[in-house]
Amino acid sequence: MNAIEVNGVGKNYGKVQALSDVTFAVRQGEVFGLIGPDGAGKTSMFRILCTLLKPDSGTASVLGHDVVSQYKAVRRKVGYMPGRFSLYDDLTVRENLEFFATLFGTTVGQGYDFIKAIYSQIERFDNRKAGALSGGMKQKLALSCALVHQPEVLFLDEPTTGVDPVSRKELWEMLGSLKERGITIVAATPYLDEVRRCERVAFLDHGQVQGIDTPEAILERFAHVFNPPPVSHEQGGALAGDNVIEVEHLVKAFGTFHAVDDISFTVRRGEIFGFLGANGAGKTTAMRILTGLSQPTSGRGKVAGFDVGTEYEQIKRHIGYMSQRFSLYEDLTIAENIRLFAGIYGVPADVIERKTDDLLARLQFADHKHDLVGSLPLGWKQKLAFSVSIFHDPGVVFLDEPTGGVDPATRRQFWELIYEAAERGITVFVTTHYMDEAEYCDRISIMVDGKISAMGSPQELKRQYGMPDIDHVFTYLARQAARSSD
Amino acid sequence: MRQFFSFVIKETKHILRDRRTMLILFGMPVVLMTLFGFAITNDVRNVRTVVVTSQIDHLTRQAVDRLAVSEYFVITATVPTPREAERMIRNQQADLAIVFANDFASKKSGLQFIVDAADPNMSQQWTNYATQVITNPSSSVVNVRMLYNPGMKSAYNFVPAIMGMLLMLICAMMTSISIVREKEKGTMEMLLVSPVKPLVIIIAKVVPYMMLAIVILVTILLMARFVLDVPLAGSLVWIVVVSVIYIVLALSLGLLISNIATSQLMALLLSAMVLLMPIVMLSGMLFPIESMPTVLQWVSAVIPPRYYIAAMRKLMIMGVGIDGVLREVAILTGMTALLLVVALAKFKNRLE
Repeated sequence: MNAIEVNGVGKNYGKVQALSDVTFAVRQGEVFGLIGPDGAGKTSMFRILCTLLKPDSGTASVLGHDVVSQYKAVRRKVGYMPGRFSLYDDLTVRENLEFFATLFGTTVGQGYDFIKAIYSQIERFDNRKAGALSGGMKQKLALSCALVHQPEVLFLDEPTTGVDPVSRKELWEMLGSLKERGITIVAATPYLDEVRRCERVAFLDHGQVQGIDTPEAILERFAHVFNPPPVSHEQGGALAGDNVIEVEHLVKAFGTFHAVDDISFTVRRGEIFGFLGANGAGKTTAMRILTGLSQPTSGRGKVAGFDVGTEYEQIKRHIGYMSQRFSLYEDLTIAENIRLFAGIYGVPADVIERKTDDLLARLQFADHKHDLVGSLPLGWKQKLAFSVSIFHDPGVVFLDEPTGGVDPATRRQFWELIYEAAERGITVFVTTHYMDEAEYCDRISIMVDGKISAMGSPQELKRQYGMPDIDHVFTYLARQAARSSD
Repeated sequence: MRQFFSFVIKETKHILRDRRTMLILFGMPVVLMTLFGFAITNDVRNVRTVVVTSQIDHLTRQAVDRLAVSEYFVITATVPTPREAERMIRNQQADLAIVFANDFASKKSGLQFIVDAADPNMSQQWTNYATQVITNPSSSVVNVRMLYNPGMKSAYNFVPAIMGMLLMLICAMMTSISIVREKEKGTMEMLLVSPVKPLVIIIAKVVPYMMLAIVILVTILLMARFVLDVPLAGSLVWIVVVSVIYIVLALSLGLLISNIATSQLMALLLSAMVLLMPIVMLSGMLFPIESMPTVLQWVSAVIPPRYYIAAMRKLMIMGVGIDGVLREVAILTGMTALLLVVALAKFKNRLE
């Protein structure tokens, strides 16, 4: 018996074709993955199945109800978790849950047993505003809200973007227990370990189904997308003794809470340094101090030769910075963005002109010089944002989760750019939730509870902890965290 | 029904927890009322006046005295020639000069005003007042009696206008923003996926803002009565009933805006710019509709606050019964019904 049947569904937004002739079926009680690069049409597919969008052609049914004509019946039986956690930030955890329970005509009491496994983890924060929760907590609350009415089918649209590996594993363990109750689950994810947890996956690209099979078969068949050959990188370019970042006993306290609790490390010139940690471990706070945005409570730090406590204006001038949240102005063209940011850093106009053409030629963007950034795919934007952040040849570039939400092939291309920059002598300081990327770094540190609990090259750490890969090392260390991840 | 209430509670919490917005919502009426009541006023008061006369006889003396004791005029100088008075006005030492002819006493006429007419409305008023004061009531040919507002206080005029403007702004702006915010945050997706009927979502969204608007209405009325001494001459019940009709109309407009707007900023601009400008300029709030060009009069005919302000002026100041404002109320009700139906019909059950 099929819980979901999709037949020849197509959907256009104006001239853009989001889905074309998509056909697949999901069995009752199955965990089904919907995977594909950014812009492949996954979100449109979810919205059609949740009755939020009308397909332009074809039919789709959920639990035997047509999503167009019988949308009311569908809405009663499905749970949906959109990519952005749709919670009310100004309501407390409890209020959010109660509101969504009533919305679906049930009460928290009735649904409690059903969500207990998840909800019990956040129950002690009942009276905290949802806006004050960490990513992992929000995710659990959003899932509780989507499940409280005991749906028969659960749709999850990239539920783990921006969530650390430990929280991700916990989420999938919960999904496993939901499956035992016979709930059909359709999930989209950019993470390969999550893809492997599905029973079957459909690979969607350019709005079309490229293949439906077991995860292994799909990953095998489309290895060029999901499992690109690892980037080769000559190590040892880093010069010993020439430190770009030096940090000694750095502390940042908010009241009695020590977000960063006495960390010390050095990063050498030309090194690629991976700065890992679970949500709430203190990564962002430490990074803010290093980029001159925040003052340390105590301790010393030097970035590109300038003191973080006193010479932060100098630091800002000599570093590059790229974050996942803010990259470029979407309503400016590529050339305009480059000119703007290079101008901010005081690059002379003729140099900008010359380097812009070089850069676009190298990225193979030359034809798109005058395209609006908003019209580019996410992977392009990220590459461009990175190139812009090192346009003024900074001594060190800080990358805050630069590759969130894109497929492995695109991430690999991104890392080629990082290696290029490192070879030119630019030090790269990067945070990421992708553990395969951690393996690409020269050295990594893993932060737990505001302290650095492990540091060294990926090989050293794996040997030291006797684990097969960094993912295991990270999980092992992060699970020892005493402080709740919020 | 339970869903409806939990919705209303949730919406109320959103409003109550956003302290700053609350402060603005309640601060705005209070500040506007105080400003218009005490600071910004069209009332004639302390006009610097120069008297031009070559000889002071008994009748002239009397007229000048009447001017001096009135709160409207302050006699700053007495000069012999009109030329000198004009010079004083040009030097901005005076606003108004009153020239008495030499034979003013015998002929009981021969009066000239020299006025600084940079502000035409005010200069008109000054001359009217001066004429009133100088002309000896007993011997005057024309006897003017001001009905409803004998003291010619501008508060009587602007309190209904402020009500018309504020209620529209608050209702339309807040409703549209709160709906668009849910679209932006993505929570609207969750609401739509739930089995709750869209109608329930809309009504539950609107009810708290309606309550808020009524609280603001009461604040304005209390301030008008007890701080600005505006008489609420008509029936309070009808004032409130007509106001509630108007509030519903404003809320429907807010719903319509939320359908068009894709971001909170756009909702804000739409309700602030597109609604506010016509309300202030064309509703008869500041400028009388009768003196507008015909085309603008047509435009003003479709602006709802026009009818509300007119109705409120009649109900509050003139103290007429409901039968005196039937036309306005009928038009308002019709507009409300139309907007509400369109807003409900346009509310989308799905995403685009």
